[in-house]
Amino acid sequence: MMTSAVNHYFGSSIGRKHLVAITGLLLCGFLVSHLLGNLLLLVGPDAFNLYSYKLFALGGLLYVIEAGLALVFLVHMYLAVRLNIENMRSRGKYAMKKRTGRGTTLMSATMPYTGLVLLVFLILHLMNLKFGTVYTTVVDGTEMRDIYKTTMEYFANPVSVGWYVFAMFCAAFHTAHGFSSAFQSLGLNHGKYFGKIKIIGYLYAIVVGGGFAFVSVWAYMKGV
Amino acid sequence: MTLNLDSKIPSGPLTEKWAKHKFEMKRVNPANKRKFTVIVVGTGLAGGSAAATLAELGYNVLSFCIQDSPRRAHSIAAQGGINAAKNYPNDGDSVKNLFYDTIKGGDYRAREANVYRLAEVSNNIIDQMVAQGVPFAREYGGYLDNRSFGGAQVSRTFYARGQTGQQLLLGAYSGMMKMVAKGKIKQYNRREMMDLVTINGKARGIIVRNLLTGELERYAADAVLLCTGGYGNVFYLSTNAQVSNGSAAWRCYKRGAAFANPCFTQIHPTCIPVHGDYQSKLTLMSESLRNDGRVWVPKKEGDTRKPADIPDEDRDYYLERVYPSFGNLAPRDVSSRQAKFRCDEGKGVGSTKMAVYLDFRDAIKRDGRDTIAGKYGNLFEMYERITGDDPYKTPMMIYPAVHYTMGGLWVDYNLQSTIPGLHVLGEANFSDHGANRLGASALMQGLADGYFVIPYTLSNYLASTPLEKVTTEDNAFKDAEQAVMLQTSKILGINGKRTVSDFHKELGHIMWENVGMSRNEAGLKNAIDGIRKLREEFWHDVNVPGDTGNFNLELHKATRVADYLELGELMALDALERRESCGGHFREEFQTPDNEAKRDDENFTHAAVWEYTGQNSSPIRHQEELKFENVQLATRSYK
Amino acid sequence: MASTENMTLNLKIWRQKNATTEGKLVDYRVENVSPDMSFLEMIDVLNDQLVRKGEDPIAFDHDCREGICGMCSMAIDGKAHGGFKNTTTCQVHMRHYKNGDNIVVEPFRASAFPVIKDLTVDRSAMDKVMAAGGYVTANTGNAPDGNAMLIPKPIADEAMDAAACIGCGACVASCPNGSGMLFMSSKISQLALLPQGQPESPRRALNMVYTHDSLGFGNCSTHAECEATCPKGISIEHIARANREYMKAAFTYHEKKRSEGGA
Repeated sequence: MMTSAVNHYFGSSIGRKHLVAITGLLLCGFLVSHLLGNLLLLVGPDAFNLYSYKLFALGGLLYVIEAGLALVFLVHMYLAVRLNIENMRSRGKYAMKKRTGRGTTLMSATMPYTGLVLLVFLILHLMNLKFGTVYTTVVDGTEMRDIYKTTMEYFANPVSVGWYVFAMFCAAFHTAHGFSSAFQSLGLNHGKYFGKIKIIGYLYAIVVGGGFAFVSVWAYMKGV
Repeated sequence: MTLNLDSKIPSGPLTEKWAKHKFEMKRVNPANKRKFTVIVVGTGLAGGSAAATLAELGYNVLSFCIQDSPRRAHSIAAQGGINAAKNYPNDGDSVKNLFYDTIKGGDYRAREANVYRLAEVSNNIIDQMVAQGVPFAREYGGYLDNRSFGGAQVSRTFYARGQTGQQLLLGAYSGMMKMVAKGKIKQYNRREMMDLVTINGKARGIIVRNLLTGELERYAADAVLLCTGGYGNVFYLSTNAQVSNGSAAWRCYKRGAAFANPCFTQIHPTCIPVHGDYQSKLTLMSESLRNDGRVWVPKKEGDTRKPADIPDEDRDYYLERVYPSFGNLAPRDVSSRQAKFRCDEGKGVGSTKMAVYLDFRDAIKRDGRDTIAGKYGNLFEMYERITGDDPYKTPMMIYPAVHYTMGGLWVDYNLQSTIPGLHVLGEANFSDHGANRLGASALMQGLADGYFVIPYTLSNYLASTPLEKVTTEDNAFKDAEQAVMLQTSKILGINGKRTVSDFHKELGHIMWENVGMSRNEAGLKNAIDGIRKLREEFWHDVNVPGDTGNFNLELHKATRVADYLELGELMALDALERRESCGGHFREEFQTPDNEAKRDDENFTHAAVWEYTGQNSSPIRHQEELKFENVQLATRSYK
Repeated sequence: MASTENMTLNLKIWRQKNATTEGKLVDYRVENVSPDMSFLEMIDVLNDQLVRKGEDPIAFDHDCREGICGMCSMAIDGKAHGGFKNTTTCQVHMRHYKNGDNIVVEPFRASAFPVIKDLTVDRSAMDKVMAAGGYVTANTGNAPDGNAMLIPKPIADEAMDAAACIGCGACVASCPNGSGMLFMSSKISQLALLPQGQPESPRRALNMVYTHDSLGFGNCSTHAECEATCPKGISIEHIARANREYMKAAFTYHEKKRSEGGA
């Protein structure tokens, strides 16, 4: 077992938690960049479409980034599902189970559920927007996809906005636990600063979850 | 049969004895050690350290514990600390000093040579435990911290918060686990030793009950180490754990191992007082509390004011008054007795009037709440959890309780009992504490025996004794197992009316009233009569439901109580025969005008060693004379 | 909340004959319970009644009854050790309950802790985790002076915080994942903090984690329910330290097979 320490790492509970944590933090980073992009909606159609156009202009590189992102998503999901199945097997089955109220939070207890919501959301999100209706527009003389229009159309539907806000609420919940938990898993919990990491995690959840939700509501209010 | 009570103390000057003995003893060569199997019963400090060390040396160890894991042995509950003669605080300590304090603390009823060896190896214990990763308290500079303890005028006690016993035990346990992983220790949990098997006069195995299945199991070996602790639970209420019991030692006694000084019982002065009939145990509050707490009772009888409302002039700080030089740090036996005297005078406090105050008001005023919390925080919390009172605001109420038994199976200098091959370590033996044990010395003795004495003396035994091959098919095993089965079916067949706990409580009451903190001839005779009657009744009227074939907790308790009902009588008999007061043994007939214990050195400078002669005949009292060549016998004074 | 009068309680207690049979909750009524009793003493009283009726008493593990041996193990009202802060079952006193209360008592539950009988469970998996590396290989006899290696007080104190673990298994029983991480990490952390533990720290982390995982304990997902339930208040910071130690070890520790022969 000693000789295959690195192999064992990826099979061990801690090694897998490390990967969940790293992929989770990467996804947190992705969300920030995504949100910054979304905020361009507020600036106007041209800014948003130009941003999208420049991303696509990366060409092959974009596919590499997207593939990487997809891999991060898949690893995160696969390991999380696997850990949850194992944990279901390991946990004790109480006839009556209560918590102390000082440990488990609603955020931590609902991680698998908020995660599932996010997975469904992700699929629909890609279908509705990335692979949604394609319009074209011309900005500064260049023809490009009018992703602004696709987005605003999507958000014109109150059901879509409701679902989107709900999903972002789940994202906030998920990251409120996940952000600081990732630091803990990576061994970066220390009495001196862990309280602060927790606060940063909550702030992150509020700003990112709230930011996305705000943009969607703003789009709905503005109308097509 | 004549009992061989040769103590085998090596010749030569006291300071050279152990070194000389180590040199002269025979050794087993490393390649041959793996040919020997040793049974270790009990996994406390003595058993755990012995099992780990013997396995490290190469012996095959079979280790047995009664709980579900060796880490739960009752050594774990020791709070205060462990003594060693390091003299780190530069306050004049030395091996000789520790030796002297222990002999004096034991009221001159322990063997000089054993105690000196104990003091000598005390320093190695600290080093060993630090190396195991025990997180002893440290100073900011990184050096080990010390505190003072009752009966000593130097600070020689090493500690790990209020959990020193736990930390030391986990150290020994971790050493064991290391050897379990290497296959050198086979660990058997939830097993209770039911009998010792002797073949050709030598201890060669044990019969144990698997507590889960009820089955009896046989194990054979080349030697047996008994590390099963004391028998304080004979009093029903004590600071001992529920499962701590005297049966293993008692069964050995009945197989021919002599029992020494059974009446030497330590009553610890600082325990949480009894509060009801349903009570199952008494909780100790570490003696270290007396470093800062002041013990007092109201001067007036029947003073019902709240403690905080009683001004200093109406308080009797009786330990400081009677023992000005040791004050609140007088040894345990002395402090316990003084508490009893005050309550007997009617000055006791609390709802039962059987308690005294231990007050931290002045210490908190002097050092601040934080400092006191740093030293005793966990003890204060524990007190509050049990009593609902906050010791930062109101004084603790304490009363003495049975804590430790200095008596035990007789052993020679090599820790061997009168049965060759049966070695007895730790509290289970009688050797080092005389008539009273000093605080923080039990941990020291358990580890000294297991780590630094038995590895040498057991090798000597194995190397110098012809040991024929035995198996568990030997008739001796069959007979012993048969006897246990008979006893079991007898108990299960009684189907009487009273529960095992009924009998245990009644026995405890007889013991506490007559063989407790103060004893007299009439009471002891009463106790002997009472115990005999109770024993008779037990065997006719006990009710143990269930059968042998499962996890039958009532049956387990019943076999232990059956043994207590015999052991209690021997304790009373020993107390009756020892017509003097010494240490924890206080005979009212023998006291000084100011109520201190009055020894009779002319007639009682010996260990009383009892030999079993059969179920229906009286045991024989032998004597091992104690020779004091290095200390002057003096009246113990803590004034 | 504190009661001062004697009370009557309605208990539902898990009865299970042995490891292979099904168990169920059985109703019991206990009268005259004094608020000064401990929870276990209340069960003693119930058992006494059962024995007098010739019934099988309730099997439960307990020993020191002062919160240090780690033997007592029941879950009271769905919470290991009753869920009080820094408290073991044996230190729960009845003054926390009031007359007429319904109380459910179950064994510690986790896949790694199979039930033996009634409220008694098998926690031998914890010994196995310890045997995998919860020690310093310091054979008796070769220790240097206790003061030879200085340990700063805050480090010694932190090691002591971790070392306070009593091995009761409440962390496992309360964990939504049945994970033994707090138990295991408290030992890894204690010995990683102390200089004496350093030489075999990587090996310890690798072996203990490997063994922990193979015994049916779950994974940590940082609920911190263990920390909240731990009778010794051990912090999940120690889990973080163990995670760190493990990562370091997995990527740096290497042990070549070598022959130790010689003249």
